[in-house]
Amino acid sequence: MAAPIDYDAFRREVTEFALTRCPPEIRAAVATYRKLSRKIWYPWQKILYEHGWGAPSWPKEYGGTGWDHRQRHIFDEVMAECDCPPQYHHGLRHIGPVIIQFGTPEQKQRFLPGILSGKDWWCQGYSEPNAGSDLASLRTTARREGNEYIVEGQKTWTSHAHESDWMYTLVRTSKEAKKQQGITMLLIPLDSPGITIRPIRTIDGWHHVNEVFLDHVRVPVANRIGEEGQGWTYGKFLLERERLGGANVAPALKNLERTRALVAQELAGEGNRLKREMLEHRLLLAEAELLGARALGREAVAAVMEGKPLNLLPSVLKLSTSVTHQHIAEVALDAVGGRLAPRFRRVDAGGPNAEAPGIEWVQNYMYMRVRTIYGGSSEVQKNVIAKQLFGA
Amino acid sequence: MAFTATPLVGGDAFDMAQRLGLEADRALASLVDSAEQAACLRRYWDSIAELGWMATAVPEEAGGAGGGLADLAALVAGAGRGGLPLPVTLACAVVPALLAGAGEGRNALLADVATGRARICAILPGAASDGTGSALKLAASGGRLVLDGTVVGVETPPDPTHLLIVCGEAEPVLLLIPADARGLAGGRYQRIDGHLAQDWTFGGMAVEPTWILARGEEVTRRAEEARDLGALLTCIEGVSAMGAIIEQTIDYLSNRVQFGVPLSSFQALRHRVAEMYVEYENLRGLVGQTLRAASASDCLPWRDIAFAKLRLGEAGRFVAQEAIQCHGGMGMTEALPAIRLARRVMMAEFEYGDRTFQAARLLAEARRCAEAA
Repeated sequence: MAAPIDYDAFRREVTEFALTRCPPEIRAAVATYRKLSRKIWYPWQKILYEHGWGAPSWPKEYGGTGWDHRQRHIFDEVMAECDCPPQYHHGLRHIGPVIIQFGTPEQKQRFLPGILSGKDWWCQGYSEPNAGSDLASLRTTARREGNEYIVEGQKTWTSHAHESDWMYTLVRTSKEAKKQQGITMLLIPLDSPGITIRPIRTIDGWHHVNEVFLDHVRVPVANRIGEEGQGWTYGKFLLERERLGGANVAPALKNLERTRALVAQELAGEGNRLKREMLEHRLLLAEAELLGARALGREAVAAVMEGKPLNLLPSVLKLSTSVTHQHIAEVALDAVGGRLAPRFRRVDAGGPNAEAPGIEWVQNYMYMRVRTIYGGSSEVQKNVIAKQLFGA
Repeated sequence: MAFTATPLVGGDAFDMAQRLGLEADRALASLVDSAEQAACLRRYWDSIAELGWMATAVPEEAGGAGGGLADLAALVAGAGRGGLPLPVTLACAVVPALLAGAGEGRNALLADVATGRARICAILPGAASDGTGSALKLAASGGRLVLDGTVVGVETPPDPTHLLIVCGEAEPVLLLIPADARGLAGGRYQRIDGHLAQDWTFGGMAVEPTWILARGEEVTRRAEEARDLGALLTCIEGVSAMGAIIEQTIDYLSNRVQFGVPLSSFQALRHRVAEMYVEYENLRGLVGQTLRAASASDCLPWRDIAFAKLRLGEAGRFVAQEAIQCHGGMGMTEALPAIRLARRVMMAEFEYGDRTFQAARLLAEARRCAEAA
């Protein structure tokens, strides 16, 4: 039997690594809420990969670390505490585990190494104009023609499609009585003829989401995950694996710490005392909520370690921390908004926003609104909770 | 299966306390005469004394059970869920904690507390005055110490025998005053949450030397610790009550039919309950962790407790208010146990430091740290 893991020593090791090996400019980008892109993520992923930490959640045989849930949780916490970027998730946390679980040996060999090293960049083709929270209503179709599928349709909210190589995509291959059936998962190269990617202008002034149009796109059948018509199962598997994501409250606590420093700096001096104290009080209330969420997060990790069910914990964590993130961002906006909000420009209005130092606080406030919308909106989470509480 | 709350601390003591709480709450709700209600409370007080509740945290050398925080937590959690309107935290935890700092004769006093013979009311620094009279003050006059002023709304056991007071600016003292001492006046009443309270007026009464149990900075330290212990146990009581409130609200909404359908079919109400649950869970997590931290250490983790008590103010009031709203007109009556529990949770905020008190001390500490850095 293996020796028991010394989690404190592990935490020290990860912290030491993060502080010494993550390039200062990358940590500075995270600390100042710069929008993360492949240019920032890739060098960090390369460093982690070369250290053998490329995939904390993968089994060793596929190049992962083989860490247990507590180690992964500690790793994620330390990354946030040290201002290191959270690893780009679409490959490592989403499609990678699906390929490991359901992929053919050829698919594993072809796709996993690129995800691990960061050479290949992935995005998620799930949402459509008429299938957001109600994902199973998706209408993008794939028609079998020999050894190929012909894909027609449109995806939206596709984060990072503009800098990705591949899109794992849910398409409809047949119309069944139950709309969750007849859905298939395809891996589509984004340089395929017939694909058009258009940026969506978002309220935060950053470019991160896109519309992806698929016009008669030919996809080899070899790029299908698992069985035809079973895509919903694989998509659900992917989401199930993400259920512990909300257990890591460290990013929110870091967000709080940065905002507290902002308030102290921006509102120093006696003339600002009342305003400063009002904002400090709001941050204290946010901190109190986060401490409760952190306690629940630890319960969730302990439950997973013991093989116990998580029940409603993921929904509770998602609901409460998403709102607290927003509250903290509002405090930051109230600290600097008076002088910065009026200088927040439309991207196409000439001159980059970067000309106003600190404008990221305003952008981040806008961006944070998405927290209660994506990953199962607050309303969906409340439906889930109520269904279980009421027993129907 | 509909929701059933998991107790923070379960076990036989929890079950017994809950049973007694439910019984007392029901008995009290059936009475309208205030003298009968007072007699009813006294009967339940005698029952819990006989069951040894007040001996729980009293050391064995003083005739107690020498129990710890977990034992106290089980009692207040059970009592909180049942809605027992007796000062369990005060009598079983706060009073013994204060008396632990008394000098000679401490064990004899604690022995009386353990049996329930001594029924003690505690007045901690910062106790409320009524705004018209002056606050409680201890002053030296002609070589003697004199108590003056009023305190109001002090939670009390039935028929209090003594007052335990922490006061004095120049030198803090711990005083134990017989409730029938000359110069002491008070009016007792049942608070809206069913608990007994008393207003006390000290008409310039001279302090007898034998009343002084302890003096010096140690008194202040112990008083602060007793307050934190009280705050933590109040949080445990509150979480426990909130779990029961949510269960009963779900039950009400599932059975109450309006517009031809059960209220539980309306999404607006289901979402309110989901929000109640999220707030409850968040507080349960925080209080559970604080209880574990407090049990594992010799001194109470005051910051954790302050955050938990602050959140009891926020989350507790939210759950109570939403429960009232979900019950519609019935939420404005005291007919249902859920609403009586909701009222209790609202009142519990003001015991052992409300949310603004806790926020102020946390912000003050943050300021001290920032200035020191």
